[in-house]
Parts: sequence; C-alpha cells; structure tokens
Amino acid sequence: MSPERFRVMVSAVLLVGVSISAALIGVGFLAALAVGWQGSLIGAAVPGGTSAPPTDFGDLPARLASLEPLAVTQLGLLTLLATPVLRVAASVVGFALEDDRLYAGITLAVLGVLLASIFLLH
Amino acid sequence: MTPQADVGIFLVSVCAGILGSLAGVGGGILVIPALTTIFGVDVHLAVGASIVSVIATSSGAAAAYVRDRMTDMRVGMFLELATTTGAVCGAVVAAFVAPGFLFFLLGLVLLLSAGMQFARLDEEEPPPDAPSRLALALRLASSYPDRKLGREVPYSARRVPLGFAMMWVAGAVSGLLGIGSGVLKVLAMDVAMRLPIKVSSATSNFMIGVTAAASAGIYLSRGDVDPRIAAPVALGVLLGALTGARLLHRISNRGIRLVFLPVLVAIGLEMLGRGLGLPV
Repeated sequence: MSPERFRVMVSAVLLVGVSISAALIGVGFLAALAVGWQGSLIGAAVPGGTSAPPTDFGDLPARLASLEPLAVTQLGLLTLLATPVLRVAASVVGFALEDDRLYAGITLAVLGVLLASIFLLH
Repeated sequence: MTPQADVGIFLVSVCAGILGSLAGVGGGILVIPALTTIFGVDVHLAVGASIVSVIATSSGAAAAYVRDRMTDMRVGMFLELATTTGAVCGAVVAAFVAPGFLFFLLGLVLLLSAGMQFARLDEEEPPPDAPSRLALALRLASSYPDRKLGREVPYSARRVPLGFAMMWVAGAVSGLLGIGSGVLKVLAMDVAMRLPIKVSSATSNFMIGVTAAASAGIYLSRGDVDPRIAAPVALGVLLGALTGARLLHRISNRGIRLVFLPVLVAIGLEMLGRGLGLPV
C-alpha cells in the first residue's frame, strides 16, 4: 500500500466513524426533543426501560429495538468512543500492507495496551 | 436540560472544538468549567462529557489532518506506545497517590514552558539540524505542506528518548489526573523533539483520542457519560473540530502558538490552583 493510500484509508476510517456517530447522536437528540429522552419513536417503550437512569448502557439492545431516543444517542456515543480504537486497528493493517514491520509491531502493541486498558481497568 | 441550555452547551462546544483542533488539545479546559459553572452540571458528568469532547475533537480534526499530511502517523504511533502504557500506570497508581503535590509541580512546569513558548513565538520553523540516528532508524523524519508559507517544510525529530519520556509522563498524568494530556503532548513534540508547531498540534490531536479512549471504559462503567449532556457536546465539538481543521492551513505558525499559549497558561494556572488546594 502506498503512503498516500494509507493516509486516505486512516482518514476514511475516522470520517466514517465520526459521520455515523454524528448522525445517530443528531437523530437521537432531535427525537428526544419530540418524544422525550425515554419515549419511543414507534410508540412502544420498553417495559421498565423508562425507569433506567440515563447513564446506564446495560439494556441497550432492547431499548434500541423500540427506537428510544436515549438508546439511539447512546449507540452514537459508543460509536464515537470506538472510533480511535478502530483507527489504531486500521493502522496495524496499513503498516503491514506497507511492509513496515517495525511500525506494524509498534501499532499492534498500542492496540493491545489500548484494549487491555478499556476492558481491564474498572 | 432546557432547549436553551442545550443550545448554549452546543455553542460552547463548537468553540472548544475549534480551539482544540488548532491547539492540539481536547478542549476540556473550556468544556468542564462551562458545564459546571454556567449550566450547573455535576462535575463527574462534566468530566465524562469532556472525554467525549476529546475523542470528538481528535477524530473530527484528525480525519482532515491525516489526509492533508499535517499529522505524522509514525511519530504519533511511536509515541502512543509511551502514552498508553503511561496512562495504564497512572490509572493503576492513582489510588495510592495524593495528587496535590503532582498538580503543583505540573502547574509550575507548564507555566515555565509557557515562558519558553513565548520566547519562540516568532519561530516559523525549527532551525535545521542533521537528524539523529535514532530518528532515522525509527523513520521520524518527514515533511509537511505549509500552505501559509507556500512550500514543503522538512523536519526530523530530535532528542527522541526525551520526547518518549515526556509522552510517558503525559500519558501517566492523563491516567492519574484526567486533564492536561493534550498540552503535555504538544510540548513534548515541540520543545523536546523540535517538530514544527503545526505538526506537533496535528499529531497531538491525532493521539489524544486514543489516550481518551483508553480511559473511556472507566467513565462508561461509572455512569459518568450522560447522553443528555454528551449529545450536544459531541455535535458541537465535531462541528468546531471540522471548522478548526480547515482554519489551520490559513494560520501562520506564530498564530498557532498564539492560540496554544493561553491554553497552556490556563491549564498551568488550574493545576497550580488545584495543587494549592484552591477551589478551581
């Protein structure tokens, strides 16, 4: 892979991640103005789901199924928070395709530390 | 939040995004005090929103900076090795360290480096020098297109071990204290490694998202990321970061330093204040 294509790929990963999250957060935010944060766009709020605190990401799939504005926004925020991780993962592939073993290794190590810190540090 | 407060948070966040994308920082210095003092948001939720703001600034601006060759991806990835391991160490020892003295010390360091920044305000590019063997081995030498100067500006990293060590400290500080990670990254690249200020800022921007993502899991599991506050912050910061990334090309290196300097002084004073136990 040429350095130019590598840059375009990393830039595209960032742009796609940012665009998807902005769209989800924007839709969720506007929908919340219409039906409230814990309402439902299809008029079927999850039973018990409406009492969930707005900082809880636990029962997200069920609340997404009823198109709850809060859940759509949360999915957008999770996408945003995952974007840098995906960017590092894409860089591992890019350096490997560029045949730069040193930097493929360095980036893989960063990805390992990053994933460990996300999932192990609580 | 009332719709008026939402609009207010959105506008503050646009400013934070522009400032952050130009200065290479996450904009927490603007977002956190605005949320707590103007909009009465709980400080934990404000810090949670600022993590979202850092990642939005980083990803939004870096999409443009990477494409435009302003970000040096090798410098960024090499130094992320230092920041991520530093952040893990900082987070692990956070429970055993009284941060007061550390805040005070860092505040002093930042204010001293503000003086150095002021002294080299007019420096448009680092003085030329032969690249070190380590910089060549690690391929930390490249060039960037400076549209304001109208030419390609070559550079190579110097004092790589010092820069790496400063980056480790920057990572540890963000793991330990949760703030100031962007300014320390810009300083490590600008002061220690003598990279051009635009490359330092754009590369710091590229890196801060990863540092913030490393601690995002902690904030999510604590319930500190409230979508009702984080949503207008994320949307505003993204708009600001995309705007700022276009502005960078039209601003001179002196201009970038003029944006960075007040951020540096503000964060230095905040840390000093916290170190002295003042209510900041």
